[in-house]
Amino acid sequence: MANFTLNGQTVDVPADPNTPLLWVIREHLKYTGTKFGCGVGQCGACTVHINGSATYSCLTPVAAIEGADVTTIEGLSEDGSHPLQKAWVAEEVSQCGYCQSGQIMRAADLLANNPDPSREEIIAHMSTNICRCGTYNRIISAIQRVAREAGDD
Amino acid sequence: MTKQTYTTELASNRREFLQGLSGLTIVIGSTGLITACSTAEAQQIARAGGTDLTANIWVTIGTNDIVTIQYPGTEMGQGTSTSLPLVLADELDADWDKVVVETVTFHDEAYGNPFFFNMLYTAGSLTVQAYFDRFRLAGAQTRRLLVESAATHWGVPLTELETEPSVVVHPASGQQLSYGEIANFTEVPETLPEIADEELKAYGAHRYLGSDIPRRDMPSKADGSAEFGIDVQVPNMVYASVLRAPVEGESALEVDDNTARSIAGVIDVLVVPEGVAVVAETYEASKWGKEALQVTWSEDSSFRDANLETDLDESLRRAEDMSLSGAAWRSVGDITEPFATAAQVMEATYLSDPAYHAQMEPMNATAHVTENGKAAELWVSTQTQSLSILGASEFLETTPDKITLHPMFIGGGFGRRGLRRQKYAEDAMYISRAIGLPVKVIWTREEDVKTCAFRNAAAQLMRAAFDSDGNLTGWHHRVAAPRVLEYMNPPRWEKSNGRDVIAMLGSESSRYDIPNFLAEHIETERRSRVGAWRGVGTSYTKFAAESFIDELAIARGIDSLEFRQNLCHNNPRALNILATVAEMADWSRPRDNTALGLSLAGYSRTFGGGIAEVSVDRTTGIITVHNFWLAADAGYLLQPSNSQAQLEGNVVFGISNTLKERLNIQDGVVQQSNYYDYQVMRMNEMPNIEVRAISTNNPPTGMGEIGLGSVSGAIANAVFAATGARVRHLPLTPERVLAAMTT
Repeated sequence: MANFTLNGQTVDVPADPNTPLLWVIREHLKYTGTKFGCGVGQCGACTVHINGSATYSCLTPVAAIEGADVTTIEGLSEDGSHPLQKAWVAEEVSQCGYCQSGQIMRAADLLANNPDPSREEIIAHMSTNICRCGTYNRIISAIQRVAREAGDD
Repeated sequence: MTKQTYTTELASNRREFLQGLSGLTIVIGSTGLITACSTAEAQQIARAGGTDLTANIWVTIGTNDIVTIQYPGTEMGQGTSTSLPLVLADELDADWDKVVVETVTFHDEAYGNPFFFNMLYTAGSLTVQAYFDRFRLAGAQTRRLLVESAATHWGVPLTELETEPSVVVHPASGQQLSYGEIANFTEVPETLPEIADEELKAYGAHRYLGSDIPRRDMPSKADGSAEFGIDVQVPNMVYASVLRAPVEGESALEVDDNTARSIAGVIDVLVVPEGVAVVAETYEASKWGKEALQVTWSEDSSFRDANLETDLDESLRRAEDMSLSGAAWRSVGDITEPFATAAQVMEATYLSDPAYHAQMEPMNATAHVTENGKAAELWVSTQTQSLSILGASEFLETTPDKITLHPMFIGGGFGRRGLRRQKYAEDAMYISRAIGLPVKVIWTREEDVKTCAFRNAAAQLMRAAFDSDGNLTGWHHRVAAPRVLEYMNPPRWEKSNGRDVIAMLGSESSRYDIPNFLAEHIETERRSRVGAWRGVGTSYTKFAAESFIDELAIARGIDSLEFRQNLCHNNPRALNILATVAEMADWSRPRDNTALGLSLAGYSRTFGGGIAEVSVDRTTGIITVHNFWLAADAGYLLQPSNSQAQLEGNVVFGISNTLKERLNIQDGVVQQSNYYDYQVMRMNEMPNIEVRAISTNNPPTGMGEIGLGSVSGAIANAVFAATGARVRHLPLTPERVLAAMTT
């Protein structure tokens, strides 16, 4: 059994404790915004927040997160209105889009701890996540846009 | 400029519209549900639910004012699911906010891409190029029909009417009717209105094109709701993981599945073509079951002796063996005489290793096979509706109409998803047929790397002849590579007259005015599964051609920019690209610790030029790219911002290709397995990238692959400028740089 909180709701899933969180989220609970890319913590497509920290869900067995608070892209906002999601649309970051849930979750973790990161800090933080389409420049722009707009408030 | 081309397009389009009326169409019913059906059924629905207007195969005007446009491509990040319907909407003068875009989900040559023998096939950066004129015409004819109908309805001359988005207005009387209102009383005539090409909107006169209309797919890709193939869930679905044979063409002889079957949730273990599948109630159980299999493989494949190093040596031998000749990809004049009488002949050989697509979405398919194995519903991320359907029908030995396809968003294509026989889909169909349930098959990353149809290795011999005045009089480009197209799609190969576009694209070097020119395909034996890769052949042919041009310029003592300018003095678009990229990079400014390299490498009909600024660590051989500038002229830009994004992505992919990407094959087995040993470029390895998409008044061409040819030659040339070492083997690994520096 797997017991944790997913996007604010308690879930109780009859899954083998060794099951990676990724598959419980995607296939058992049908929150498919979180993606499978490599299965070995190399690409970041599966990034979710566990107790607020960006984590590879493909490497995290559900047994290890008993009672934890898990947030996926679906839980970042109810309606795509998180500042990063709006910035992703405004900067037209996505191409194929497959990696972008993971990119946004990774970026949200950065901004939660460092609301006004330098370009170098953005790059250092985001280099865990691969984008094969090569949207890196726009990912940086979108994160900078959120930091800038937060600073304007 | 486009007039001549357009006249022939008009003729073919007239047929297309007639065909369309007797073929398949799509209507939006009164319920608002989109239904694919035959024209007879469409007319019935139209009669039953009002009188929606389907003027041609591409667009339907609903009486509710909804304009439904058929999109014949697939969406893998290139943005044509927005930009192409936008072409029609602009010419129709539709309100874009009332446009619904529907992807064509069936195989019908009326919707197909003529560059691919009328298959629905999204590849080669050819979607906009193939459909631009057809979509303009479809939009213009539909608009004319609506305006004529309104004129008749009001009893006023056609010339007094204008349109605003989705509304016909009569300024003199102040009357207006929405397109939906007009559709309600308009009948499609036997003959559609004639549209002269000068009646179409001119470049620059568009309402939407050129003004960066937001891509439709952006919001769903920012909130996680975009549905890719791997996201499909269907009722009663089970999962399967497949252990694929390590070597092509082999099968399981013995399977010890005792442990696998003991895993909770495992339903069955099946031997499938070239693999063993574990079927389970959950994905994880199927994967654990797969990992527990003990399989004895047949070990009888002729690919068992495939070894990259020796195979590439053999390719090189063939490239250099002048007694061998091959299919001409491009031939101008006759190269025999200039080489025989040359004052100077230069030669160089270039090698390139295989490369993997590394698309982010691992290969997967969901299938439900019914009717005793003779029908299937198939959900798959595909670059081609037609080949997914035709390939599936061939696999099941049934007819294409028995395949119901759901093409999904694609998590990276790059050529990976365009084969006729899609093995991941065949796995799903095979298993579903055997167990009678819908099955989702997900290949692990490792299974895909191991069995992917990747970019072939190639060896190339470049030869140039100069006369006694120093004129470049002969060019000979010999590409030793397998028949890639034959493996990807045998029926297409049979129609291609021996011309292998996948292996050869780029070797035409058509920007340069060289009087005697031959690019030829020296065929080699296929030593692995092979397929198209981003940039198609340009990712290696342009590396060779643009490195070699640099070698010639240096040998002649001429600046490599000037040398290229001299060779394309009759080609204003190429000259403009050279001038633009040189200005972006400040080409003539001397650098202290870095060096520049140039490449003039377009893609098909798109002009492109790149300049790299690099430094090289002489101890380690590591190349650092500091800046990359790319200029491209793909004609009239439909979506400028999206074009810029494509160029940026191309540079990233191109640098990754140039510096890092390499698959190795030993004893028929791919040696890499995942992103840790097949590394692609990350954000912290990215140089400063500046791109410029120039809009010119020429027919729009492709933007999705221009960087692959532009980048590698520029970096190799910059490495030479920095070190004096010529690295002629792609990728330019540190070992190869060091080796080149010591020779």
